[in-house]
Amino acid sequence: MHREMEDFSWPWQYQFPPFFTIQPNSDTRKKQLEAWCALVLSYLKQKKSHSVDVTEIQNSPLFNNKEINRKLPPDGVYAVFEELQKKGHLEWKDQKTRKQCLIMWRTPEEWGKMIYDWITSKSMTNTVCTLYELSNGDDSEGQEFHGLEKWLLLRALQTLEQQGKAEIINFDGNEGVKFF
Amino acid sequence: MHRRGHGIGAIKNKNLAQARYKDKGTLLAEDQFAQMAKQMETFRGHLEEFAAKHKDDIKKDPQFRIIEVCLATSHRNGGLIGLEELRDRLVASRGKRSQDISLDDVFCAIKKLKVLGNGFTVIPVGKTYLVQSVPGELSMDHTTVLQQAQEKGYVTKTDLLTKLKWEEERAVRTMNFMVKEGLAWIDDQAKERQYWFPSFFPYNTFAA
Repeated sequence: MHREMEDFSWPWQYQFPPFFTIQPNSDTRKKQLEAWCALVLSYLKQKKSHSVDVTEIQNSPLFNNKEINRKLPPDGVYAVFEELQKKGHLEWKDQKTRKQCLIMWRTPEEWGKMIYDWITSKSMTNTVCTLYELSNGDDSEGQEFHGLEKWLLLRALQTLEQQGKAEIINFDGNEGVKFF
Repeated sequence: MHRRGHGIGAIKNKNLAQARYKDKGTLLAEDQFAQMAKQMETFRGHLEEFAAKHKDDIKKDPQFRIIEVCLATSHRNGGLIGLEELRDRLVASRGKRSQDISLDDVFCAIKKLKVLGNGFTVIPVGKTYLVQSVPGELSMDHTTVLQQAQEKGYVTKTDLLTKLKWEEERAVRTMNFMVKEGLAWIDDQAKERQYWFPSFFPYNTFAA
């Protein structure tokens, strides 16, 4: 397992063999899917990864616990992904074939709020900066959104735009943002 | 503050209650009902006031804390918690300065709860006990299955047919009930379907 996963704490369900069988009782299944959703999000958060290949992740430790010899079957994985999609955490890159998806363990709205709160705390409203400066500059070093992938940063800023808190602009050929 | 007893919700509830009474063949006059509703409201207000005033005392009470732990864990185990797990969670919730709590202490507290008619039952399983906190009938057959499951944390239909000498129909009916009640989960990745009980499953953290 990769180093970043060494101190990952698995929930009790992960060692529980039935967790890897989609439950027939609807109340139990609801709890099961909720637990799976939470596990998928925290696993990907630990890996700092958003891009998911379904086949690859099905075979990863996330859905495949070799210690207890249990693996969530494909229809189970898709049931979990459908649930994540409903909650706004998942987007298919290929809606028809559903082999690749983006899983946002933090929604664009949540990222947007975090960024805006930080901007406000630094009294940086009414200033302009490039997208690169925002996510990769020295200033934001240590912030959770530091190093955020550009596509997600843009989504986050778009939610702020909708709230009238920012405007995505282009200046000197650079993509940037103005905060209000 | 939101005024209780008024608004659409209250009217709907009142109509529903009226309908229920009518179904039972009892016709209450309009103003009799209104008076009853008002009394209930007053009573509820007093109860809430009492609870708020004595919040700290109530929270220290062992019976209350047992109910709290059972409620907090029931989504995981369907309302059946092992006595040791219950004790461990009570100790953990109390913090460092408290005295240790023995299994006997927990047992006594639960006995008191039973007297209050709270629907708490203690089920002997092997060397230990399960505390049932959800209302509902657990028959002898269900209890027997729990005792059987205590060893490995699960049972199979074959276990019931061979070790308990049950007939197929009885085994199926009993296990379907336990799955339906959320007490058991199914595992289909073994040689034969296994019915697992979270109540017996070792827990590592006290996270919900």
